[in-house]
Amino acid sequence: MFKELDPILHAQLRLGAMSLLVAVKEAEFTFIKEKTGATAGNLSVQLNKLKEVGYIDITKRFKDNYPQTLCKITDKGIIAFDDYVKALQSYTHT
Amino acid sequence: MQNEQSFTQEESLKLITEMIGKAKRSYVTKGIAAIVWGTIIVTCSIISWLQYTYKLHIRFNIWWLTVFALLPQIYFGIKEKQQKKFTSHNETAIRFVWIAFGICIFITSFYTGNHSDYQTTTLFMMLYGIPTFVTGGVTGFKPMIIGGILCWLIAVISIYTSFGANLLLMAACGLFAWFIPGIILWGRYKQQQQVNV
Repeated sequence: MFKELDPILHAQLRLGAMSLLVAVKEAEFTFIKEKTGATAGNLSVQLNKLKEVGYIDITKRFKDNYPQTLCKITDKGIIAFDDYVKALQSYTHT
Repeated sequence: MQNEQSFTQEESLKLITEMIGKAKRSYVTKGIAAIVWGTIIVTCSIISWLQYTYKLHIRFNIWWLTVFALLPQIYFGIKEKQQKKFTSHNETAIRFVWIAFGICIFITSFYTGNHSDYQTTTLFMMLYGIPTFVTGGVTGFKPMIIGGILCWLIAVISIYTSFGANLLLMAACGLFAWFIPGIILWGRYKQQQQVNV
Protein backbone atom coordinates (compact mmCIF):
# COMPACT_ATOMS: atom_id res chain seq x y z
CA MET A 1 0.00 0.00 0.00
CA PHE A 2 1.26 3.46 -0.90
CA LYS A 3 2.02 5.84 1.91
CA GLU A 4 0.74 9.36 1.54
CA LEU A 5 3.38 11.92 0.68
CA ASP A 6 3.71 14.86 3.08
CA PRO A 7 2.33 17.82 1.05
CA ILE A 8 4.64 20.22 2.88
CA LEU A 9 7.70 18.33 1.65
CA HIS A 10 6.34 17.31 -1.75
CA ALA A 11 7.14 20.69 -3.25
CA GLN A 12 10.36 21.22 -5.17
CA LEU A 13 11.89 24.18 -3.37
CA ARG A 14 10.87 23.11 0.14
CA LEU A 15 12.18 19.60 -0.49
CA GLY A 16 15.43 21.02 -1.92
CA ALA A 17 15.93 23.22 1.14
CA MET A 18 15.13 20.37 3.53
CA SER A 19 17.55 18.03 1.72
CA LEU A 20 20.31 20.61 2.14
CA LEU A 21 19.49 21.13 5.81
CA VAL A 22 19.49 17.40 6.50
CA ALA A 23 23.06 17.22 5.22
CA VAL A 24 24.41 20.08 7.38
CA LYS A 25 24.14 21.15 11.01
CA GLU A 26 22.95 24.66 10.09
CA ALA A 27 23.13 26.87 7.02
CA GLU A 28 22.82 30.52 6.09
CA PHE A 29 19.90 31.66 3.98
CA THR A 30 22.36 32.70 1.25
CA PHE A 31 23.79 29.16 1.12
CA ILE A 32 20.35 27.64 0.52
CA LYS A 33 19.55 30.34 -2.04
CA GLU A 34 22.82 29.68 -3.88
CA LYS A 35 22.40 25.89 -3.95
CA THR A 36 18.71 25.86 -4.91
CA GLY A 37 18.97 28.73 -7.38
CA ALA A 38 15.72 30.19 -6.02
CA THR A 39 14.88 33.86 -5.71
CA ALA A 40 15.21 35.40 -2.23
CA GLY A 41 11.49 36.21 -2.03
CA ASN A 42 10.28 32.76 -3.03
CA LEU A 43 12.79 30.99 -0.78
CA SER A 44 11.85 33.19 2.15
CA VAL A 45 8.17 32.29 1.76
CA GLN A 46 8.89 28.54 1.52
CA LEU A 47 11.28 28.55 4.48
CA ASN A 48 8.65 30.30 6.57
CA LYS A 49 6.16 27.55 5.65
CA LEU A 50 8.66 24.95 6.87
CA LYS A 51 9.14 26.96 10.04
CA GLU A 52 5.37 27.24 10.65
CA VAL A 53 5.00 23.44 10.66
CA GLY A 54 8.04 23.12 12.94
CA TYR A 55 10.34 21.40 10.44
CA ILE A 56 13.07 24.05 10.68
CA ASP A 57 14.26 26.75 13.06
CA ILE A 58 15.15 30.17 11.70
CA THR A 59 17.46 32.43 13.68
CA LYS A 60 18.22 36.00 12.69
CA ARG A 61 21.37 37.72 13.96
CA PHE A 62 24.11 40.13 12.92
CA LYS A 63 27.47 39.01 11.56
CA ASP A 64 30.09 41.71 10.84
CA ASN A 65 27.32 44.35 10.91
CA TYR A 66 25.30 42.49 8.28
CA PRO A 67 22.04 40.65 9.00
CA GLN A 68 22.42 36.90 8.86
CA THR A 69 19.63 34.32 8.69
CA LEU A 70 20.50 30.85 9.93
CA CYS A 71 18.35 27.81 9.24
CA LYS A 72 18.48 24.52 11.08
CA ILE A 73 16.39 21.37 10.71
CA THR A 74 14.48 20.34 13.85
CA ASP A 75 13.96 16.82 15.23
CA LYS A 76 10.39 16.98 13.92
CA GLY A 77 11.79 17.96 10.51
CA ILE A 78 14.20 15.01 10.50
CA ILE A 79 11.38 12.58 11.30
CA ALA A 80 9.15 14.13 8.62
CA PHE A 81 11.97 13.96 6.06
CA ASP A 82 12.70 10.33 6.96
CA ASP A 83 9.02 9.41 6.64
CA TYR A 84 8.84 11.23 3.30
CA VAL A 85 11.83 9.29 1.92
CA LYS A 86 10.32 5.99 3.14
CA ALA A 87 7.03 6.90 1.47
CA LEU A 88 8.87 7.72 -1.76
CA GLN A 89 10.63 4.38 -1.64
CA SER A 90 7.31 2.56 -1.26
CA TYR A 91 6.31 4.10 -4.61
CA THR A 92 9.53 3.44 -6.43
CA HIS A 93 9.93 -0.15 -5.19
CA THR A 94 6.59 -1.27 -6.68
CA MET B 1 14.10 26.12 -8.58
CA GLN B 2 10.34 26.63 -8.55
CA ASN B 3 8.13 25.38 -5.76
CA GLU B 4 4.57 24.50 -6.60
CA GLN B 5 5.58 22.76 -9.81
CA SER B 6 4.38 19.13 -9.70
CA PHE B 7 7.02 16.45 -9.89
CA THR B 8 7.21 12.69 -9.77
CA GLN B 9 8.50 10.42 -6.98
CA GLU B 10 11.62 9.64 -9.04
CA GLU B 11 12.28 13.34 -9.49
CA SER B 12 11.88 13.84 -5.73
CA LEU B 13 14.51 11.19 -4.98
CA LYS B 14 16.80 12.67 -7.64
CA LEU B 15 16.40 16.13 -6.11
CA ILE B 16 17.18 14.85 -2.59
CA THR B 17 20.32 13.07 -3.83
CA GLU B 18 21.42 16.11 -5.80
CA MET B 19 20.97 18.53 -2.87
CA ILE B 20 22.70 16.27 -0.34
CA GLY B 21 25.56 15.89 -2.84
CA LYS B 22 25.75 19.67 -3.30
CA ALA B 23 25.93 20.19 0.47
CA LYS B 24 28.67 17.60 0.86
CA ARG B 25 30.76 19.03 -1.98
CA SER B 26 30.53 22.48 -0.39
CA TYR B 27 32.68 21.31 2.49
CA VAL B 28 36.11 22.26 1.16
CA THR B 29 38.82 23.23 3.60
CA LYS B 30 41.93 25.06 2.45
CA GLY B 31 44.30 22.84 4.42
CA ILE B 32 46.37 25.83 5.58
CA ALA B 33 46.25 24.73 9.23
CA ALA B 34 47.58 21.28 8.29
CA ILE B 35 50.36 22.78 6.12
CA VAL B 36 51.45 25.22 8.87
CA TRP B 37 51.37 22.55 11.59
CA GLY B 38 53.16 20.00 9.38
CA THR B 39 55.87 22.51 8.49
CA ILE B 40 56.43 23.39 12.15
CA ILE B 41 56.71 19.74 13.26
CA VAL B 42 59.09 18.85 10.39
CA THR B 43 61.22 21.97 11.02
CA CYS B 44 61.41 21.48 14.79
CA SER B 45 62.24 17.78 14.43
CA ILE B 46 65.02 18.36 11.89
CA ILE B 47 66.53 21.23 13.89
CA SER B 48 66.40 19.08 17.04
CA TRP B 49 68.10 16.27 15.13
CA LEU B 50 70.82 18.68 13.90
CA GLN B 51 71.30 19.95 17.46
CA TYR B 52 71.51 16.41 18.85
CA THR B 53 73.75 14.99 16.13
CA TYR B 54 76.14 17.91 15.59
CA LYS B 55 75.98 19.28 19.15
CA LEU B 56 74.67 22.61 17.88
CA HIS B 57 73.42 25.05 20.43
CA ILE B 58 70.41 27.32 20.04
CA ARG B 59 69.60 29.79 22.79
CA PHE B 60 65.98 28.68 23.04
CA ASN B 61 63.98 25.47 22.87
CA ILE B 62 63.00 25.12 19.21
CA TRP B 63 59.76 23.35 20.18
CA TRP B 64 58.41 26.68 21.45
CA LEU B 65 57.69 27.31 17.76
CA THR B 66 54.72 24.96 18.12
CA VAL B 67 53.19 27.41 20.59
CA PHE B 68 53.74 30.32 18.19
CA ALA B 69 52.25 28.22 15.40
CA LEU B 70 48.98 28.16 17.31
CA LEU B 71 48.46 31.89 16.62
CA PRO B 72 48.20 31.60 12.80
CA GLN B 73 46.19 28.39 13.33
CA ILE B 74 43.63 30.30 15.40
CA TYR B 75 43.67 33.23 12.93
CA PHE B 76 43.11 31.05 9.85
CA GLY B 77 40.53 28.96 11.73
CA ILE B 78 38.44 32.01 12.62
CA LYS B 79 38.80 33.46 9.10
CA GLU B 80 37.72 30.20 7.48
CA LYS B 81 34.74 29.92 9.84
CA GLN B 82 33.66 33.49 9.04
CA GLN B 83 33.73 32.81 5.30
CA LYS B 84 31.69 29.64 5.57
CA LYS B 85 27.96 29.78 5.01
CA PHE B 86 27.13 26.55 6.79
CA THR B 87 28.27 24.26 9.58
CA SER B 88 28.59 20.56 8.90
CA HIS B 89 27.65 17.81 11.37
CA ASN B 90 31.24 16.58 11.49
CA GLU B 91 32.84 19.88 12.46
CA THR B 92 31.88 19.77 16.13
CA ALA B 93 33.20 16.21 16.52
CA ILE B 94 36.45 17.08 14.73
CA ARG B 95 36.92 20.26 16.81
CA PHE B 96 36.60 18.29 20.06
CA VAL B 97 39.06 15.65 18.86
CA TRP B 98 41.66 18.36 18.10
CA ILE B 99 41.05 20.08 21.45
CA ALA B 100 41.59 16.72 23.16
CA PHE B 101 44.76 16.25 21.10
CA GLY B 102 46.05 19.70 22.14
CA ILE B 103 45.44 18.92 25.82
CA CYS B 104 47.17 15.52 25.52
CA ILE B 105 50.18 17.08 23.76
CA PHE B 106 50.42 19.69 26.53
CA ILE B 107 50.29 17.02 29.28
CA THR B 108 52.82 14.84 27.42
CA SER B 109 55.17 17.83 27.01
CA PHE B 110 54.85 18.50 30.73
CA TYR B 111 55.57 14.82 31.45
CA THR B 112 58.60 14.87 29.14
CA GLY B 113 59.93 17.95 30.91
CA ASN B 114 59.82 16.10 34.22
CA HIS B 115 61.07 12.71 32.97
CA SER B 116 63.86 13.66 30.59
CA ASP B 117 65.50 10.26 31.03
CA TYR B 118 62.68 8.55 29.15
CA GLN B 119 62.43 8.40 25.43
CA THR B 120 59.08 10.06 25.01
CA THR B 121 59.15 10.75 21.26
CA THR B 122 57.17 7.53 20.73
CA LEU B 123 54.34 8.94 22.84
CA PHE B 124 54.18 12.08 20.70
CA MET B 125 54.13 10.11 17.45
CA MET B 126 51.37 7.88 18.82
CA LEU B 127 49.34 10.99 19.73
CA TYR B 128 49.95 12.59 16.29
CA GLY B 129 48.17 9.66 14.68
CA ILE B 130 44.91 9.99 16.65
CA PRO B 131 43.36 13.30 15.45
CA THR B 132 44.65 12.76 11.93
CA PHE B 133 43.13 9.28 11.70
CA VAL B 134 39.80 10.40 13.21
CA THR B 135 39.55 13.51 10.99
CA GLY B 136 40.35 11.43 7.93
CA GLY B 137 37.79 8.80 8.89
CA VAL B 138 34.99 11.24 9.68
CA THR B 139 35.51 13.32 6.54
CA GLY B 140 36.37 10.36 4.31
CA PHE B 141 39.73 11.93 3.43
CA LYS B 142 42.05 8.97 2.77
CA PRO B 143 45.43 10.81 2.90
CA MET B 144 44.71 11.62 6.57
CA ILE B 145 43.64 8.05 7.38
CA ILE B 146 46.89 6.81 5.83
CA GLY B 147 48.83 9.59 7.62
CA GLY B 148 47.39 8.51 10.98
CA ILE B 149 48.22 4.85 10.39
CA LEU B 150 51.76 5.76 9.28
CA CYS B 151 52.25 7.76 12.50
CA TRP B 152 51.40 4.66 14.53
CA LEU B 153 53.66 2.40 12.45
CA ILE B 154 56.49 4.91 12.86
CA ALA B 155 55.73 5.08 16.60
CA VAL B 156 56.21 1.29 16.81
CA ILE B 157 59.50 1.52 14.86
CA SER B 158 60.69 4.30 17.17
CA ILE B 159 60.55 1.93 20.16
CA TYR B 160 63.56 0.11 18.66
CA THR B 161 65.55 3.07 17.32
CA SER B 162 67.87 5.65 18.88
CA PHE B 163 66.75 9.07 20.08
CA GLY B 164 68.49 10.76 17.12
CA ALA B 165 66.70 8.55 14.61
CA ASN B 166 63.41 9.14 16.44
CA LEU B 167 63.71 12.86 15.80
CA LEU B 168 63.89 12.15 12.06
CA LEU B 169 60.97 9.74 12.40
CA MET B 170 59.03 12.52 14.07
CA ALA B 171 59.72 14.74 11.04
CA ALA B 172 58.34 11.94 8.87
CA CYS B 173 55.18 11.90 11.03
CA GLY B 174 54.73 15.65 10.51
CA LEU B 175 55.12 15.11 6.78
CA PHE B 176 52.66 12.20 6.49
CA ALA B 177 50.08 13.33 9.05
CA TRP B 178 49.80 17.01 8.11
CA PHE B 179 52.05 18.46 5.44
CA ILE B 180 51.18 16.08 2.58
CA PRO B 181 47.41 15.91 3.38
CA GLY B 182 47.46 19.73 3.74
CA ILE B 183 49.03 20.15 0.29
CA ILE B 184 46.41 17.78 -1.20
CA LEU B 185 43.61 19.78 0.49
CA TRP B 186 45.07 23.05 -0.82
CA GLY B 187 45.21 21.56 -4.34
CA ARG B 188 41.57 20.47 -4.09
CA TYR B 189 40.54 23.91 -2.84
CA LYS B 190 42.29 25.60 -5.77
CA GLN B 191 40.67 23.16 -8.18
CA GLN B 192 37.24 23.86 -6.68
CA GLN B 193 37.81 27.59 -7.01
CA GLN B 194 38.66 27.21 -10.69
CA VAL B 195 35.42 25.25 -11.22
CA ASN B 196 33.42 28.00 -9.49
CA VAL B 197 34.96 30.81 -11.61
